[in-house]
Amino acid sequence: MKWFKQTKYVWPLVPAVLFVFIFVGYAIMMALLESITINGQWTLDAYKQLLENQSFRDSILFSLKVTLTSTFISLFIGVVITRWMYYYLRNYWVKVLIWIPMLFPHFVWGYIVILLFSQSGWFSGLLYELGLLEDFTHFPVLTQDQHGIGIISTYIFKEVPFVILIILPVYIQMNHQYKHVVQTLGGSKWEIFKTVEWPTIFPVLSEAGIIIFAFVLSAFEVPFLLGATYPKMVSILSYDWFFQGDWSQRPMAFAAMIIVTSIIVICSIVLFSMTNRLRIRVSKGER
Amino acid sequence: MKNRHYSFLFSIIGLLVFFPVAFLIVTSFALQWTWPQILPTEWSTIGWNALIEEPKLFLALRTSIGIGAIVVFINLAIGFPAAKVLAFQSFKGKSFIEAFLLMPILIPGLAVAMGLHLTMIRIGVADHWAGVALVHLVPTIPYTIKIFRSGFERVGSFYELQALSLGASQKEVFTSIYLPQLITSIRSATFLIFVISLSQYALTAIIGGGNVVTLAMIYFPYLSSVNNAVIASFSLLFAGIPLLFILIIEIVIRMFIPYRSLTNTQQ
Repeated sequence: MKWFKQTKYVWPLVPAVLFVFIFVGYAIMMALLESITINGQWTLDAYKQLLENQSFRDSILFSLKVTLTSTFISLFIGVVITRWMYYYLRNYWVKVLIWIPMLFPHFVWGYIVILLFSQSGWFSGLLYELGLLEDFTHFPVLTQDQHGIGIISTYIFKEVPFVILIILPVYIQMNHQYKHVVQTLGGSKWEIFKTVEWPTIFPVLSEAGIIIFAFVLSAFEVPFLLGATYPKMVSILSYDWFFQGDWSQRPMAFAAMIIVTSIIVICSIVLFSMTNRLRIRVSKGER
Repeated sequence: MKNRHYSFLFSIIGLLVFFPVAFLIVTSFALQWTWPQILPTEWSTIGWNALIEEPKLFLALRTSIGIGAIVVFINLAIGFPAAKVLAFQSFKGKSFIEAFLLMPILIPGLAVAMGLHLTMIRIGVADHWAGVALVHLVPTIPYTIKIFRSGFERVGSFYELQALSLGASQKEVFTSIYLPQLITSIRSATFLIFVISLSQYALTAIIGGGNVVTLAMIYFPYLSSVNNAVIASFSLLFAGIPLLFILIIEIVIRMFIPYRSLTNTQQ
Protein backbone atom coordinates (compact mmCIF):
# COMPACT_ATOMS: atom_id res chain seq x y z
CA MET A 1 0.00 0.00 0.00
CA LYS A 2 2.84 2.33 0.93
CA TRP A 3 4.54 1.62 -2.38
CA PHE A 4 1.35 2.47 -4.24
CA LYS A 5 1.04 5.77 -2.41
CA GLN A 6 4.63 6.57 -3.30
CA THR A 7 4.26 5.77 -7.00
CA LYS A 8 1.39 8.22 -7.25
CA TYR A 9 3.85 11.07 -6.72
CA VAL A 10 6.61 9.52 -8.75
CA TRP A 11 4.84 8.90 -12.05
CA PRO A 12 5.96 12.24 -13.62
CA LEU A 13 9.47 10.73 -13.56
CA VAL A 14 8.41 7.91 -15.88
CA PRO A 15 9.02 9.68 -19.25
CA ALA A 16 12.52 10.73 -18.18
CA VAL A 17 13.44 7.30 -16.80
CA LEU A 18 12.00 5.57 -19.86
CA PHE A 19 13.99 7.88 -22.09
CA VAL A 20 17.24 6.99 -20.33
CA PHE A 21 16.37 3.27 -20.51
CA ILE A 22 15.89 3.40 -24.27
CA PHE A 23 18.48 5.97 -25.30
CA VAL A 24 21.23 4.85 -22.95
CA GLY A 25 20.40 1.34 -21.69
CA TYR A 26 19.19 -0.07 -24.99
CA ALA A 27 21.77 1.84 -27.06
CA ILE A 28 24.71 0.60 -24.97
CA MET A 29 23.34 -2.95 -25.02
CA MET A 30 23.18 -2.82 -28.83
CA ALA A 31 26.71 -1.38 -28.98
CA LEU A 32 27.93 -4.18 -26.70
CA LEU A 33 26.19 -6.82 -28.84
CA GLU A 34 27.73 -5.43 -32.02
CA SER A 35 31.16 -5.41 -30.40
CA ILE A 36 30.94 -9.15 -29.67
CA THR A 37 29.34 -10.32 -32.92
CA ILE A 38 31.36 -10.85 -36.08
CA ASN A 39 29.43 -12.39 -39.00
CA GLY A 40 26.69 -13.55 -36.67
CA GLN A 41 29.12 -15.39 -34.38
CA TRP A 42 29.78 -14.40 -30.78
CA THR A 43 33.43 -13.66 -30.27
CA LEU A 44 35.79 -11.43 -28.32
CA ASP A 45 38.05 -10.95 -31.34
CA ALA A 46 37.38 -7.21 -31.57
CA TYR A 47 38.65 -6.72 -28.01
CA LYS A 48 41.69 -8.95 -28.67
CA GLN A 49 42.49 -6.95 -31.79
CA LEU A 50 42.16 -3.70 -29.88
CA LEU A 51 44.48 -4.76 -27.08
CA GLU A 52 47.07 -5.92 -29.60
CA ASN A 53 46.74 -2.69 -31.57
CA GLN A 54 49.59 -0.33 -30.68
CA SER A 55 47.77 2.76 -31.98
CA PHE A 56 44.75 1.95 -29.79
CA ARG A 57 46.87 1.43 -26.67
CA ASP A 58 48.69 4.72 -27.28
CA SER A 59 45.37 6.37 -28.03
CA ILE A 60 43.67 5.30 -24.81
CA LEU A 61 46.63 6.44 -22.68
CA PHE A 62 46.79 9.73 -24.58
CA SER A 63 43.03 10.24 -24.21
CA LEU A 64 43.18 9.62 -20.47
CA LYS A 65 46.13 12.00 -20.09
CA VAL A 66 44.40 14.78 -22.05
CA THR A 67 41.09 14.20 -20.25
CA LEU A 68 42.48 14.13 -16.71
CA THR A 69 44.63 17.22 -17.36
CA SER A 70 41.76 19.27 -18.81
CA THR A 71 39.35 18.14 -16.09
CA PHE A 72 41.59 18.92 -13.11
CA ILE A 73 42.89 22.23 -14.47
CA SER A 74 39.33 23.38 -15.30
CA LEU A 75 38.08 22.42 -11.83
CA PHE A 76 41.06 24.09 -10.14
CA ILE A 77 40.78 27.39 -12.05
CA GLY A 78 36.99 27.37 -11.66
CA VAL A 79 37.21 26.95 -7.88
CA VAL A 80 39.97 29.56 -7.50
CA ILE A 81 38.00 32.17 -9.46
CA THR A 82 34.70 31.37 -7.74
CA ARG A 83 35.93 31.36 -4.14
CA TRP A 84 37.86 34.53 -4.74
CA MET A 85 35.15 36.36 -6.61
CA TYR A 86 31.80 34.84 -5.64
CA TYR A 87 30.64 38.05 -4.00
CA TYR A 88 31.22 40.02 -7.19
CA LEU A 89 30.07 37.25 -9.50
CA ARG A 90 26.53 37.81 -8.25
CA ASN A 91 26.41 40.92 -10.39
CA TYR A 92 23.92 40.40 -13.23
CA TRP A 93 26.25 41.63 -15.97
CA VAL A 94 29.17 39.53 -14.78
CA LYS A 95 26.88 36.49 -15.01
CA VAL A 96 25.91 37.46 -18.54
CA LEU A 97 29.62 37.67 -19.41
CA ILE A 98 30.24 34.16 -18.08
CA TRP A 99 27.50 32.87 -20.37
CA ILE A 100 29.23 34.25 -23.49
CA PRO A 101 31.72 31.35 -23.87
CA MET A 102 28.73 28.99 -23.61
CA LEU A 103 27.27 30.74 -26.65
CA PHE A 104 29.82 29.25 -29.04
CA PRO A 105 30.02 25.54 -29.80
CA HIS A 106 33.19 23.74 -28.70
CA PHE A 107 34.45 23.52 -32.27
CA VAL A 108 34.28 27.31 -32.70
CA TRP A 109 36.54 27.72 -29.65
CA GLY A 110 38.81 25.12 -31.22
CA TYR A 111 38.95 27.19 -34.37
CA ILE A 112 39.75 30.35 -32.35
CA VAL A 113 42.58 28.48 -30.61
CA ILE A 114 44.01 27.54 -34.02
CA LEU A 115 43.80 31.15 -35.24
CA LEU A 116 45.54 32.45 -32.13
CA PHE A 117 48.04 29.78 -31.11
CA SER A 118 49.13 27.92 -34.24
CA GLN A 119 52.69 28.43 -35.48
CA SER A 120 51.55 30.99 -38.03
CA GLY A 121 48.85 32.29 -35.71
CA TRP A 122 48.27 35.71 -34.21
CA PHE A 123 50.43 35.28 -31.11
CA SER A 124 53.46 34.12 -33.05
CA GLY A 125 52.97 37.17 -35.30
CA LEU A 126 52.77 39.41 -32.25
CA LEU A 127 55.99 37.95 -30.81
CA TYR A 128 57.70 38.43 -34.17
CA GLU A 129 56.63 42.07 -34.36
CA LEU A 130 57.91 42.58 -30.82
CA GLY A 131 61.25 41.15 -31.92
CA LEU A 132 61.02 38.13 -29.63
CA LEU A 133 60.78 35.57 -32.42
CA GLU A 134 63.00 35.12 -35.45
CA ASP A 135 60.64 33.07 -37.56
CA PHE A 136 57.34 31.27 -37.09
CA THR A 137 59.06 27.91 -37.20
CA HIS A 138 60.60 28.84 -33.83
CA PHE A 139 57.14 29.21 -32.26
CA PRO A 140 56.27 26.08 -30.20
CA VAL A 141 53.78 23.66 -31.76
CA LEU A 142 50.68 24.25 -29.63
CA THR A 143 47.92 23.07 -31.98
CA GLN A 144 47.64 19.67 -33.64
CA ASP A 145 50.54 18.74 -31.36
CA GLN A 146 51.49 15.35 -29.95
CA HIS A 147 50.89 16.36 -26.34
CA GLY A 148 47.31 17.53 -26.89
CA ILE A 149 48.07 21.07 -25.68
CA GLY A 150 45.65 22.57 -28.20
CA ILE A 151 42.86 20.17 -27.19
CA ILE A 152 43.50 20.74 -23.49
CA SER A 153 43.51 24.53 -23.75
CA THR A 154 40.29 24.56 -25.80
CA TYR A 155 38.53 22.48 -23.18
CA ILE A 156 39.86 24.62 -20.32
CA PHE A 157 38.56 27.77 -22.06
CA LYS A 158 35.15 26.21 -22.43
CA GLU A 159 34.83 24.30 -19.14
CA VAL A 160 36.02 26.91 -16.62
CA PRO A 161 32.82 28.99 -17.09
CA PHE A 162 30.84 25.73 -16.75
CA VAL A 163 32.54 24.97 -13.40
CA ILE A 164 31.92 28.54 -12.19
CA LEU A 165 28.23 28.38 -13.14
CA ILE A 166 27.83 25.09 -11.29
CA ILE A 167 29.61 25.91 -8.01
CA LEU A 168 28.65 29.60 -7.80
CA PRO A 169 25.22 28.90 -6.20
CA VAL A 170 26.93 26.69 -3.59
CA TYR A 171 29.31 29.49 -2.62
CA ILE A 172 26.51 32.04 -2.48
CA GLN A 173 24.34 29.82 -0.25
CA MET A 174 27.22 28.64 1.94
CA ASN A 175 27.02 29.54 5.62
CA HIS A 176 29.96 31.91 5.80
CA GLN A 177 29.76 32.20 9.57
CA TYR A 178 31.53 28.84 9.84
CA LYS A 179 34.52 30.57 8.30
CA HIS A 180 34.52 33.12 11.11
CA VAL A 181 34.44 30.28 13.62
CA VAL A 182 37.57 28.74 12.09
CA GLN A 183 39.19 32.19 12.00
CA THR A 184 38.37 32.94 15.64
CA LEU A 185 39.83 29.60 16.64
CA GLY A 186 43.06 30.60 14.90
CA GLY A 187 42.65 28.58 11.70
CA SER A 188 44.52 29.54 8.54
CA LYS A 189 42.92 30.27 5.17
CA TRP A 190 43.81 26.75 4.07
CA GLU A 191 42.04 25.32 7.12
CA ILE A 192 38.97 27.41 6.31
CA PHE A 193 38.95 25.95 2.83
CA LYS A 194 39.58 22.41 4.05
CA THR A 195 37.01 22.29 6.86
CA VAL A 196 34.26 24.66 5.70
CA GLU A 197 34.30 25.01 1.93
CA TRP A 198 35.61 21.66 0.71
CA PRO A 199 32.95 19.42 2.33
CA THR A 200 30.24 21.72 0.98
CA ILE A 201 31.50 21.99 -2.57
CA PHE A 202 32.88 18.46 -2.92
CA PRO A 203 29.64 16.73 -4.04
CA VAL A 204 28.86 19.42 -6.61
CA LEU A 205 32.46 19.72 -7.75
CA SER A 206 32.86 15.97 -8.20
CA GLU A 207 29.69 15.87 -10.27
CA ALA A 208 30.97 18.70 -12.49
CA GLY A 209 34.29 16.84 -12.67
CA ILE A 210 32.78 13.56 -13.83
CA ILE A 211 30.63 15.38 -16.41
CA ILE A 212 33.71 17.10 -17.87
CA PHE A 213 35.76 13.89 -17.67
CA ALA A 214 33.12 11.86 -19.52
CA PHE A 215 32.63 14.56 -22.11
CA VAL A 216 36.31 15.19 -22.91
CA LEU A 217 37.14 11.48 -23.00
CA SER A 218 34.56 10.73 -25.66
CA ALA A 219 33.87 13.95 -27.60
CA PHE A 220 34.77 14.02 -31.27
CA GLU A 221 34.63 17.63 -32.48
CA VAL A 222 37.58 19.29 -30.70
CA PRO A 223 40.18 16.53 -31.24
CA PHE A 224 39.08 16.33 -34.88
CA LEU A 225 40.14 19.98 -35.27
CA LEU A 226 43.11 20.14 -32.93
CA GLY A 227 44.41 16.60 -32.67
CA ALA A 228 47.70 15.35 -34.13
CA THR A 229 47.84 12.47 -36.62
CA TYR A 230 49.45 10.37 -33.88
CA PRO A 231 48.42 9.59 -31.18
CA LYS A 232 44.72 10.11 -31.87
CA MET A 233 42.02 10.54 -29.24
CA VAL A 234 40.04 7.30 -28.89
CA SER A 235 36.82 8.97 -30.17
CA ILE A 236 38.55 9.78 -33.48
CA LEU A 237 39.81 6.19 -33.90
CA SER A 238 36.37 4.81 -33.15
CA TYR A 239 34.62 7.24 -35.53
CA ASP A 240 37.07 6.41 -38.34
CA TRP A 241 36.58 2.68 -37.83
CA PHE A 242 32.81 3.11 -37.77
CA PHE A 243 32.80 4.91 -41.13
CA GLN A 244 35.31 2.59 -42.83
CA GLY A 245 33.58 1.60 -46.07
CA ASP A 246 33.30 -2.18 -45.77
CA TRP A 247 32.07 -2.25 -42.12
CA SER A 248 34.84 -4.73 -41.27
CA GLN A 249 36.21 -2.43 -38.55
CA ARG A 250 32.81 -1.74 -36.96
CA PRO A 251 33.17 -4.32 -34.16
CA MET A 252 36.41 -2.56 -33.20
CA ALA A 253 34.67 0.83 -33.25
CA PHE A 254 32.01 -0.55 -30.90
CA ALA A 255 34.53 -2.33 -28.67
CA ALA A 256 36.57 0.87 -28.27
CA MET A 257 33.46 2.78 -27.22
CA ILE A 258 32.44 0.00 -24.81
CA ILE A 259 35.88 0.23 -23.17
CA VAL A 260 35.54 4.01 -22.82
CA THR A 261 32.02 3.57 -21.44
CA SER A 262 33.29 1.07 -18.86
CA ILE A 263 36.04 3.47 -17.72
CA ILE A 264 33.47 6.24 -17.25
CA VAL A 265 30.97 3.98 -15.46
CA ILE A 266 33.62 2.69 -13.02
CA CYS A 267 34.84 6.24 -12.27
CA SER A 268 31.27 7.47 -11.71
CA ILE A 269 30.41 4.61 -9.35
CA VAL A 270 33.54 5.25 -7.27
CA LEU A 271 32.83 8.99 -7.14
CA PHE A 272 29.12 8.67 -6.34
CA SER A 273 29.76 6.21 -3.53
CA MET A 274 32.40 8.60 -2.13
CA THR A 275 30.04 11.59 -2.18
CA ASN A 276 27.21 9.50 -0.74
CA ARG A 277 29.40 8.44 2.18
CA LEU A 278 30.39 12.08 2.70
CA ARG A 279 26.75 13.18 2.57
CA ILE A 280 25.79 10.59 5.20
CA ARG A 281 28.67 11.71 7.44
CA VAL A 282 27.67 15.36 7.05
CA SER A 283 24.04 14.63 7.85
CA LYS A 284 25.13 12.75 11.00
CA GLY A 285 27.07 15.86 12.00
CA GLU A 286 30.56 14.36 12.08
CA ARG A 287 33.02 15.92 9.69
CA MET B 1 38.67 47.44 -2.33
CA LYS B 2 35.37 46.65 -3.95
CA ASN B 3 36.10 48.67 -7.08
CA ARG B 4 39.53 47.15 -7.46
CA HIS B 5 38.01 43.67 -7.40
CA TYR B 6 35.42 44.64 -9.97
CA SER B 7 37.90 46.12 -12.39
CA PHE B 8 40.21 43.15 -11.96
CA LEU B 9 37.37 40.70 -12.59
CA PHE B 10 36.19 42.62 -15.61
CA SER B 11 39.68 42.82 -17.09
CA ILE B 12 40.21 39.05 -16.68
CA ILE B 13 36.86 38.23 -18.21
CA GLY B 14 37.45 40.86 -20.88
CA LEU B 15 40.73 39.26 -21.81
CA LEU B 16 39.34 35.73 -21.88
CA VAL B 17 35.94 36.45 -23.42
CA PHE B 18 35.97 39.69 -25.37
CA PHE B 19 39.36 39.24 -26.97
CA PRO B 20 38.58 35.95 -28.77
CA VAL B 21 35.18 37.22 -29.89
CA ALA B 22 36.60 40.55 -31.10
CA PHE B 23 39.31 38.58 -32.87
CA LEU B 24 36.67 36.53 -34.70
CA ILE B 25 34.87 39.72 -35.75
CA VAL B 26 38.09 41.26 -37.10
CA THR B 27 38.94 38.02 -38.94
CA SER B 28 35.50 37.91 -40.53
CA PHE B 29 36.11 41.33 -42.14
CA ALA B 30 39.71 40.70 -43.20
CA LEU B 31 40.59 40.65 -46.88
CA GLN B 32 44.37 40.83 -46.71
CA TRP B 33 45.95 39.54 -43.53
CA THR B 34 49.33 37.85 -43.71
CA TRP B 35 51.62 36.73 -40.91
CA PRO B 36 53.00 38.57 -38.87
CA GLN B 37 50.63 41.55 -39.19
CA ILE B 38 48.74 42.36 -36.00
CA LEU B 39 45.73 43.69 -37.91
CA PRO B 40 44.47 43.10 -41.46
CA THR B 41 45.84 45.50 -44.06
CA GLU B 42 42.67 45.41 -46.15
CA TRP B 43 39.11 45.05 -44.95
CA SER B 44 36.01 43.86 -46.75
CA THR B 45 32.72 42.03 -46.33
CA ILE B 46 33.73 39.29 -48.76
CA GLY B 47 33.70 36.67 -45.98
CA TRP B 48 30.12 37.45 -45.04
CA ASN B 49 29.02 37.64 -48.68
CA ALA B 50 30.56 34.27 -49.47
CA LEU B 51 28.79 32.79 -46.44
CA ILE B 52 25.40 34.18 -47.44
CA GLU B 53 25.86 32.95 -51.00
CA GLU B 54 26.53 29.38 -49.81
CA PRO B 55 23.68 27.51 -51.52
CA LYS B 56 23.09 25.08 -48.65
CA LEU B 57 23.14 27.74 -45.92
CA PHE B 58 19.45 28.61 -45.74
CA LEU B 59 18.33 25.01 -45.85
CA ALA B 60 20.84 24.19 -43.11
CA LEU B 61 19.63 27.15 -41.05
CA ARG B 62 16.06 25.92 -41.35
CA THR B 63 17.04 22.33 -40.46
CA SER B 64 19.14 23.40 -37.46
CA ILE B 65 16.54 25.77 -36.05
CA GLY B 66 13.74 23.25 -36.64
CA ILE B 67 15.61 20.41 -34.95
CA GLY B 68 16.69 22.76 -32.12
CA ALA B 69 13.10 23.88 -31.51
CA ILE B 70 11.80 20.30 -31.39
CA VAL B 71 14.63 19.26 -29.07
CA VAL B 72 13.84 22.19 -26.75
CA PHE B 73 10.13 21.34 -26.73
CA ILE B 74 10.61 17.62 -25.94
CA ASN B 75 13.21 18.53 -23.32
CA LEU B 76 10.78 20.81 -21.50
CA ALA B 77 7.99 18.24 -21.73
CA ILE B 78 10.14 15.45 -20.24
CA GLY B 79 12.31 17.52 -17.90
CA PHE B 80 9.73 19.78 -16.24
CA PRO B 81 7.63 17.07 -14.50
CA ALA B 82 10.68 14.99 -13.58
CA ALA B 83 12.42 18.01 -12.05
CA LYS B 84 9.35 18.86 -9.96
CA VAL B 85 9.27 15.39 -8.40
CA LEU B 86 13.00 15.47 -7.69
CA ALA B 87 12.72 18.91 -6.10
CA PHE B 88 9.68 18.32 -3.87
CA GLN B 89 9.31 14.60 -3.15
CA SER B 90 11.57 12.30 -1.24
CA PHE B 91 11.27 8.60 -1.90
CA LYS B 92 13.25 5.41 -1.63
CA GLY B 93 16.03 5.16 -4.20
CA LYS B 94 15.96 8.87 -5.04
CA SER B 95 19.74 9.25 -5.13
CA PHE B 96 19.91 6.25 -7.47
CA ILE B 97 17.34 7.83 -9.79
CA GLU B 98 19.31 11.08 -9.71
CA ALA B 99 22.49 9.30 -10.78
CA PHE B 100 20.55 7.32 -13.39
CA LEU B 101 19.11 10.49 -14.95
CA LEU B 102 22.63 11.89 -15.26
CA MET B 103 23.70 8.92 -17.43
CA PRO B 104 22.95 10.46 -20.86
CA ILE B 105 25.72 13.04 -20.38
CA LEU B 106 28.15 10.56 -18.82
CA ILE B 107 27.84 7.70 -21.31
CA PRO B 108 29.70 8.60 -24.55
CA GLY B 109 27.35 10.11 -27.13
CA LEU B 110 29.29 8.33 -29.88
CA ALA B 111 28.58 4.95 -28.26
CA VAL B 112 24.88 5.81 -27.97
CA ALA B 113 24.60 7.04 -31.56
CA MET B 114 26.48 4.02 -32.95
CA GLY B 115 24.40 1.67 -30.82
CA LEU B 116 21.12 3.20 -31.98
CA HIS B 117 22.17 3.44 -35.63
CA LEU B 118 20.91 0.03 -36.84
CA THR B 119 17.67 0.29 -34.87
CA MET B 120 17.03 3.75 -36.28
CA ILE B 121 17.56 2.44 -39.81
CA ARG B 122 15.11 -0.36 -39.07
CA ILE B 123 12.35 1.93 -37.80
CA GLY B 124 13.08 4.43 -40.56
CA VAL B 125 14.23 7.52 -38.67
CA ALA B 126 17.91 7.29 -39.61
CA ASP B 127 18.92 9.75 -42.38
CA HIS B 128 15.93 11.80 -41.26
CA TRP B 129 15.62 14.93 -39.12
CA ALA B 130 13.44 13.04 -36.63
CA GLY B 131 16.23 10.60 -35.79
CA VAL B 132 18.70 13.46 -35.44
CA ALA B 133 16.33 15.34 -33.11
CA LEU B 134 15.90 12.19 -30.99
CA VAL B 135 19.63 11.66 -30.63
CA HIS B 136 20.13 15.36 -29.75
CA LEU B 137 17.93 14.72 -26.70
CA VAL B 138 20.69 12.56 -25.23
CA PRO B 139 23.24 15.29 -24.40
CA THR B 140 20.53 17.74 -23.29
CA ILE B 141 17.89 16.05 -21.06
CA PRO B 142 20.04 15.86 -17.89
CA TYR B 143 20.81 19.59 -18.04
CA THR B 144 17.13 20.45 -18.39
CA ILE B 145 16.24 18.34 -15.37
CA LYS B 146 19.06 19.95 -13.34
CA ILE B 147 18.14 23.51 -14.27
CA PHE B 148 14.44 23.06 -13.53
CA ARG B 149 15.11 21.17 -10.36
CA SER B 150 17.11 24.02 -8.88
CA GLY B 151 14.42 26.40 -10.16
CA PHE B 152 11.68 24.49 -8.32
CA GLU B 153 13.83 24.34 -5.18
CA ARG B 154 14.27 28.12 -5.32
CA VAL B 155 10.53 28.76 -5.70
CA GLY B 156 9.42 26.18 -3.13
CA SER B 157 6.08 24.37 -3.02
CA PHE B 158 4.31 26.83 -0.69
CA TYR B 159 2.65 28.85 -3.44
CA GLU B 160 1.26 25.70 -4.99
CA LEU B 161 -0.12 24.44 -1.66
CA GLN B 162 -1.68 27.84 -1.01
CA ALA B 163 -3.28 27.94 -4.47
CA LEU B 164 -4.55 24.36 -4.22
CA SER B 165 -6.11 25.04 -0.83
CA LEU B 166 -7.90 28.02 -2.39
CA GLY B 167 -9.31 25.72 -5.07
CA ALA B 168 -7.00 26.34 -8.00
CA SER B 169 -6.71 23.67 -10.67
CA GLN B 170 -3.38 22.05 -11.69
CA LYS B 171 -3.48 24.07 -14.89
CA GLU B 172 -3.91 27.33 -12.99
CA VAL B 173 -1.07 26.36 -10.67
CA PHE B 174 1.11 25.82 -13.71
CA THR B 175 0.22 28.99 -15.63
CA SER B 176 -0.05 31.41 -12.72
CA ILE B 177 2.66 30.12 -10.36
CA TYR B 178 5.37 28.00 -11.92
CA LEU B 179 5.44 29.48 -15.41
CA PRO B 180 6.08 33.05 -14.24
CA GLN B 181 8.33 32.05 -11.34
CA LEU B 182 10.47 29.67 -13.38
CA ILE B 183 11.03 32.06 -16.25
CA THR B 184 14.76 32.31 -15.58
CA SER B 185 15.02 28.50 -15.62
CA ILE B 186 13.06 28.33 -18.89
CA ARG B 187 15.37 30.92 -20.37
CA SER B 188 18.63 29.22 -19.36
CA ALA B 189 17.40 25.71 -20.24
CA THR B 190 16.14 26.77 -23.68
CA PHE B 191 19.37 28.58 -24.42
CA LEU B 192 21.61 25.74 -23.29
CA ILE B 193 19.63 23.01 -25.09
CA PHE B 194 19.60 25.01 -28.30
CA VAL B 195 23.35 25.67 -28.19
CA ILE B 196 24.12 22.00 -27.45
CA SER B 197 21.87 20.87 -30.31
CA LEU B 198 23.61 23.28 -32.72
CA SER B 199 27.05 21.99 -31.65
CA GLN B 200 26.48 18.33 -32.50
CA TYR B 201 28.58 17.20 -35.43
CA ALA B 202 29.41 13.54 -34.77
CA LEU B 203 25.92 12.53 -33.57
CA THR B 204 24.29 14.30 -36.54
CA ALA B 205 26.74 12.70 -38.97
CA ILE B 206 26.15 9.17 -37.64
CA ILE B 207 22.35 9.28 -37.40
CA GLY B 208 21.74 11.81 -40.21
CA GLY B 209 24.14 9.95 -42.50
CA GLY B 210 24.93 13.13 -44.45
CA ASN B 211 21.30 13.54 -45.51
CA VAL B 212 20.35 15.81 -42.64
CA VAL B 213 22.37 18.93 -43.34
CA THR B 214 22.60 21.04 -40.20
CA LEU B 215 24.92 24.03 -39.81
CA ALA B 216 27.61 21.92 -38.13
CA MET B 217 27.55 19.59 -41.14
CA ILE B 218 28.63 22.40 -43.48
CA TYR B 219 30.96 24.07 -40.95
CA PHE B 220 33.33 21.11 -40.71
CA PRO B 221 34.08 20.70 -44.43
CA TYR B 222 34.52 24.50 -44.59
CA LEU B 223 37.47 24.27 -42.19
CA SER B 224 39.65 22.68 -44.85
CA SER B 225 38.27 24.39 -47.93
CA VAL B 226 37.57 28.10 -47.53
CA ASN B 227 39.45 31.09 -46.18
CA ASN B 228 39.43 32.35 -42.61
CA ALA B 229 37.11 35.31 -43.23
CA VAL B 230 34.30 32.94 -44.27
CA ILE B 231 34.88 30.52 -41.39
CA ALA B 232 35.01 33.40 -38.90
CA SER B 233 31.72 34.77 -40.22
CA PHE B 234 30.22 31.29 -39.93
CA SER B 235 31.56 30.98 -36.37
CA LEU B 236 29.85 34.24 -35.41
CA LEU B 237 26.63 33.02 -36.99
CA PHE B 238 26.73 30.10 -34.54
CA ALA B 239 26.51 32.54 -31.64
CA GLY B 240 23.94 34.75 -33.36
CA ILE B 241 21.33 32.03 -33.92
CA PRO B 242 20.81 31.03 -30.26
CA LEU B 243 20.57 34.72 -29.37
CA LEU B 244 17.89 35.23 -32.00
CA PHE B 245 16.10 32.07 -30.89
CA ILE B 246 16.12 33.14 -27.24
CA LEU B 247 14.75 36.54 -28.28
CA ILE B 248 11.81 34.88 -30.04
CA ILE B 249 11.20 32.61 -27.04
CA GLU B 250 11.27 35.67 -24.79
CA ILE B 251 8.60 37.38 -26.86
CA VAL B 252 6.43 34.25 -26.86
CA ILE B 253 6.82 33.80 -23.10
CA ARG B 254 5.93 37.44 -22.45
CA MET B 255 2.80 37.13 -24.54
CA PHE B 256 1.51 34.17 -22.55
CA ILE B 257 2.54 34.98 -19.03
CA PRO B 258 0.26 36.64 -16.49
CA TYR B 259 1.63 38.93 -13.74
CA ARG B 260 4.20 40.62 -15.93
CA SER B 261 5.20 43.11 -13.26
CA LEU B 262 5.88 40.29 -10.82
CA THR B 263 8.26 38.51 -13.18
CA ASN B 264 10.11 41.73 -13.82
CA THR B 265 10.81 42.28 -10.15
CA GLN B 266 12.02 38.68 -9.89
CA GLN B 267 14.96 39.26 -12.20
